[in-house]
Amino acid sequence: MTQLLTLASVSWSVEKQTILNDISFTLGQGDVIGIIGPNGAGKTSLLKCLLNQTKNWQGTIKLKNKNIRHYKPHELAQTFALVVQKSPPIFELKVYDVVRMGLLPYKSLFASDTDLDKKEIMLALEKVGLSVSQNKFFNTLSGGEQQRVLIAKALVQKAKILVLDEPTNHLDIFYQHQILQLVKALNITVIMTIHDLNLAAQYCTRLLLLNKGKLVSDKNVDKALNPETLSEVFGLPCYRDNVDQLTRTSSEQPTNSNTFARVHFYPKTDVDESTEVQQ
Amino acid sequence: MKLFYLIKGKSAWVFTCLLALTLFSIITAMTFGPAQITSLDIARCVISECSTPMHDMVIWQIRIPRVLVGLVAGMGLACAGAILQNVTRNPLADPYLFGIISGAGLGATIATLVLTDEQMLALPLAAFLGALFSVIIVFGIATLLRNMNHLLLTGVAVSFMLGSISHFILYLGDPFATNRVIFWLMGSLTRVEMFHFYLISAMVLITLISIFALHRHIDALLLGDESAASLGVNVDKLRLILLALCAAVTATIVAYCGGIGFVGLMIPHIVRQLVGVTTMPLIIGSALVGGCFLIWVDVIARSALSNVEIPIGIITSAIGSIFFLAIMYRTRKSG
Repeated sequence: MTQLLTLASVSWSVEKQTILNDISFTLGQGDVIGIIGPNGAGKTSLLKCLLNQTKNWQGTIKLKNKNIRHYKPHELAQTFALVVQKSPPIFELKVYDVVRMGLLPYKSLFASDTDLDKKEIMLALEKVGLSVSQNKFFNTLSGGEQQRVLIAKALVQKAKILVLDEPTNHLDIFYQHQILQLVKALNITVIMTIHDLNLAAQYCTRLLLLNKGKLVSDKNVDKALNPETLSEVFGLPCYRDNVDQLTRTSSEQPTNSNTFARVHFYPKTDVDESTEVQQ
Repeated sequence: MKLFYLIKGKSAWVFTCLLALTLFSIITAMTFGPAQITSLDIARCVISECSTPMHDMVIWQIRIPRVLVGLVAGMGLACAGAILQNVTRNPLADPYLFGIISGAGLGATIATLVLTDEQMLALPLAAFLGALFSVIIVFGIATLLRNMNHLLLTGVAVSFMLGSISHFILYLGDPFATNRVIFWLMGSLTRVEMFHFYLISAMVLITLISIFALHRHIDALLLGDESAASLGVNVDKLRLILLALCAAVTATIVAYCGGIGFVGLMIPHIVRQLVGVTTMPLIIGSALVGGCFLIWVDVIARSALSNVEIPIGIITSAIGSIFFLAIMYRTRKSG
């Protein structure tokens, strides 16, 4: 497998506080990588370094064997597409206008949209199932639809690597699966931060576990869901289902997702009480 | 023409109407004033020769400069407002909320103390420097605070600070100086000449060309800094360029026309309802509506009262303050 991206000893400190500490991993073509870890572990910071959006980080990040510091911003934008929505737009942007932003890395100053560009925008909207919503206001869409619009923007950006920062936050279970299914169906390289470990396991090919800025493990999904490691990192007792004993509520078997065993965490107080009882 | 594609489609009729309205406003506004002059007289003057020397003087030296300066000043203020609202992500941003009026007032006040009567021609330059000074202070403080959201609040604070210095100097100084300075505080098109039109149009043209060049980058800011940066936009640099352009165009206008507030706040809001929020249609629309608006406010300023002209800034501020409250009410309702 060709290595698209290589990180070697990436560290980042701000005002003597270590945010990322000696992180190394590689990303191959077609990988779907989930970055998991508790709050403040450095998940989003790692994405910022990947996109070269911060200064003062140390180490090397190579994109196709070339240091990302040597790429121009528009060249990086042609490789990475970030799907993130933290603050809502203040004005009434239309869905079409949001997707159109994806053309930016390919356009010179003064350049106007061609008919081909318009077709590309419509095709991207079609792929995410929103072609009928092109004239709707972005603000009025549901969280799941907004994520899909941003993914359409990434498609227009023709990115080789899709970077998603907490794509399932604030979404209900239906939209969580819908977004991740869509991302997986695009068949491109994906790197995302995600809180829900079971969701991550279902859709990712590899999981990176971060804790306090360090890479604790970089393993395939089955090995990554190690109850002992997870318990240590998240500070909660962790239990994993036995994969053979899985019972499904629906008779319909999932066809395109991995068969995996779920992990469960228990509130600490219950366990403390039970240990006391045993004693 | 390459730019034209952006204004075709559904918005085409809006722009055609606005363009027609602008041309109509320019011609009609010239007929208003104490001297009875018809559009026919103006047409005759422009095409061949004026019928009387009085017409020649009034039309070429008063009416044409005044309407044209009104047009370009309105264009510049509305475009600066539209850009500032996008760049600061604040729908209530207006170039004058950055302390520009009080800065210009302070510049003019100090100049009246320092300059002799013969040097009074340099008064607009002093006002320009004062306006730039206030903008630099506001941006400097906002940069130190590392928060662009504080730009407007800093502007209000700096405005009060510079205003109090001007008032103090004026209170202690020559009573005649107050008359000269009040022009910059209230805004007026009474003193404009063709030279001012050329200067302001040049600044407006530079601003428009820069915005047309960067229109995609400005659009990208609408989804937030992080998203714009991921599209390859150098957000800090872009913001600095755009703020500097807005400051320069506003300071040029304020130097010759004084403080005409709220045009930059109101016009972009109206235009967004008509043609949407993306930069190209917004800027072209704001330029046209802003130009028309100021031409007609100036007509009201010079013809509402029979014996005296109302400073134009008083009228725009009166309309603007009501508009400001209306926007806040609407935001509260939708939020």
